Amino acid sequence: MRRRLLAVLGVGALILAVIVLVKVAPVGVAGQTSAATGSSTKTAWGDPDLQGIWTDEFQTPLQRQAKYAGKELFTEQERAELDNQRAGILRRDQRVEIGTERDVAGAYNAVFQSIKHTGKRTSLVVDPADGRIPPVTPEAKQRSDADREFRLALLQATETCKNHEAACAGGKYGPPSPRRAEIPSFYNTGRLNRSDNPEDRSMTERCMAAVLPDFGGYRRIVQSPEAVSIFYDVGQGQGWQRTIPLNGGPHLPQSIRERFGDSRGHWEGNTLVVDVTNFSPKSDFMGARENLHLVERWTRADAKTLEYSVTIEDPTTWTKPWAVKHEMTRQDEQANRIYYEPRCHEGNYGLPALLIGTRAEEAAFAKGRGPNPATKDSATDFGAEGGVDALTGN
Amino acid sequence: MRNRFKSSLIATGIAAATVSAVVTVSMTQTTGQVSRTARTADGKPNFSGVWQANNEANWDLQAHQARPGGVTQRGVYPYAFAEVPAAPVLALGAAAGVPGSLGVLQGDAQIPYTQAALTRKQENAAHWIDRDPELKCYLPGIPRAMYMPYPFQIVQSSTKIEMAYTFSNAARAIHLDKVEGPPDDTWMGHSVGRWEGDTLVVDVTHFNDKTWFDRAGNFHSDALHVVERFTPITPDALRYEATIEDPKVFTRPWKIAMPIYRRLEPNIQLLDYPCIDFAEEFLYGNLRKQQLVKHWEGETIVVDIKRKVPPGDRLYEWYGK
Repeated sequence: MRRRLLAVLGVGALILAVIVLVKVAPVGVAGQTSAATGSSTKTAWGDPDLQGIWTDEFQTPLQRQAKYAGKELFTEQERAELDNQRAGILRRDQRVEIGTERDVAGAYNAVFQSIKHTGKRTSLVVDPADGRIPPVTPEAKQRSDADREFRLALLQATETCKNHEAACAGGKYGPPSPRRAEIPSFYNTGRLNRSDNPEDRSMTERCMAAVLPDFGGYRRIVQSPEAVSIFYDVGQGQGWQRTIPLNGGPHLPQSIRERFGDSRGHWEGNTLVVDVTNFSPKSDFMGARENLHLVERWTRADAKTLEYSVTIEDPTTWTKPWAVKHEMTRQDEQANRIYYEPRCHEGNYGLPALLIGTRAEEAAFAKGRGPNPATKDSATDFGAEGGVDALTGN
Repeated sequence: MRNRFKSSLIATGIAAATVSAVVTVSMTQTTGQVSRTARTADGKPNFSGVWQANNEANWDLQAHQARPGGVTQRGVYPYAFAEVPAAPVLALGAAAGVPGSLGVLQGDAQIPYTQAALTRKQENAAHWIDRDPELKCYLPGIPRAMYMPYPFQIVQSSTKIEMAYTFSNAARAIHLDKVEGPPDDTWMGHSVGRWEGDTLVVDVTHFNDKTWFDRAGNFHSDALHVVERFTPITPDALRYEATIEDPKVFTRPWKIAMPIYRRLEPNIQLLDYPCIDFAEEFLYGNLRKQQLVKHWEGETIVVDIKRKVPPGDRLYEWYGK
């Protein structure tokens, strides 16, 4: 009961954060943007003007689904049809068996889903041409296999494995693994089924989820002749401030590693080109860490459109570089629809609740008054969480 | 060493006098490979760049004498002036002391608290470690973000001025155009600016009651209203003033002021200070399955400050080196 209460508290914290996001989420394409009209696309000092609040108003999966192989663009008719389908599967009050872990953890309903219109492209990935992220290197495969194996070992005494649920695929059900005492082979960023330490929990639960590159949320761009400032309103109150110097200086020394890397920008015609290196081993973009290298291109296409493309490279993770492209639409300046305050950490009841709850479970178990905490699942993503597109599942 | 210090002071004085003489004419100065003009394209003083206060305001806005530690306890004598550093900072020796200051208050010797609020301020000071939001890496609020001992960057445009702070990756946009305020109170406030001649005046509202002004327990309520004034002294120094009004806590408005200086290193840039990560042991260390340095004994948190002195580093050995 106590654990349940604590879990609910944690979810409550997330819910509050989500509510805020929902408040600022676009409700549709209509009614947006007179603010952008008439604005020049050059700043007062003659640089291309990227300023304003921007977001991608359309739903586009990162990778192209197999059924759209060879197809880069949807027709207008297909987009309308996909919009209809998506609207039809609102997961309103979807519940699993009441009283189960799954029911508590999946406490999101349609209120938390922001549904966007279908975008014109079948994938955000534009290079390779098949719209799919290139294969990972053997070394990255080895890393992710070892990581997966460790995660499954921590899950093996849970109902999730007992019931052969998808989250336990490749694992087995059995007594608590001795591996529960191990530290992960590299710095953990995901949700381990263990709460021995804050470091066992995901970066999201620790309020450090934001990563670069990022393809969702809102950006507020402010420029001066010497720097471009981008505030990223992303995640559940986990936004962040980025300042890109334009002074032509070299990257930071190799010894200095930054959570969001070291950005260096310059103008190439109408495009802001930003080179990003010096990532920290604690930053994790799809398995790429300190060797990640990004080249971003920000271009003001017209009064209300900002094109963003990024080439993503890490020879220790992917067999070749790949690129993502999306277009963002200018948002109403006066309504100031951006949530500046990344205060996830300030209201983080969830993380201490998970730790306190687990300590309480351990104490109860030691006195023979409760289940072994190792048999509980606090790692599996029970689905139906905010931000997941109902149609494509990503 | 002392001579060098003195001559650098003189050089700074001369430099300040020189630049202040030319601040009103269009002047170009080279920083790295970007040249910065004294005025922006729309004719306003150019505040773009990296800045930092260089004072003791974050320790205590009021005038105060130096202390041997951020937390102290009674020593041999019963006098406040004879206290010794307390356990949480003891291991840092003289690096953990608090520098003295003449304070940044304007026209008042003391902050004009109501009687009840003064009691609360004194309790805050006595419970600094447990109550100061800075130690938890919470958003610092305004005006505190302006004088914390970290650089911050101003990105100045025509209708928005973004301020990006090193501490906690905090930020605010100062709106020079009309925008709606947030639907809720906030840590960093809602900043609306306007130019009065060469002074940028910023009206900040929508605060919560959770931020502090300094490490001395000076606090406010959600009725806080701050009016800031940024006035150029030279292209590389500005006068920062903040008038603080909060009828729930203070008997009348009061004011702080200080210079804030441009960081002139040609390669200056903000570096990440990921303090959410840094504060985890402080905040949650006692909740670990196996404690590293902090644990509970009943209602008391015990911080283990055992220090092993490596061979060769005992005090008398140090003298011999």
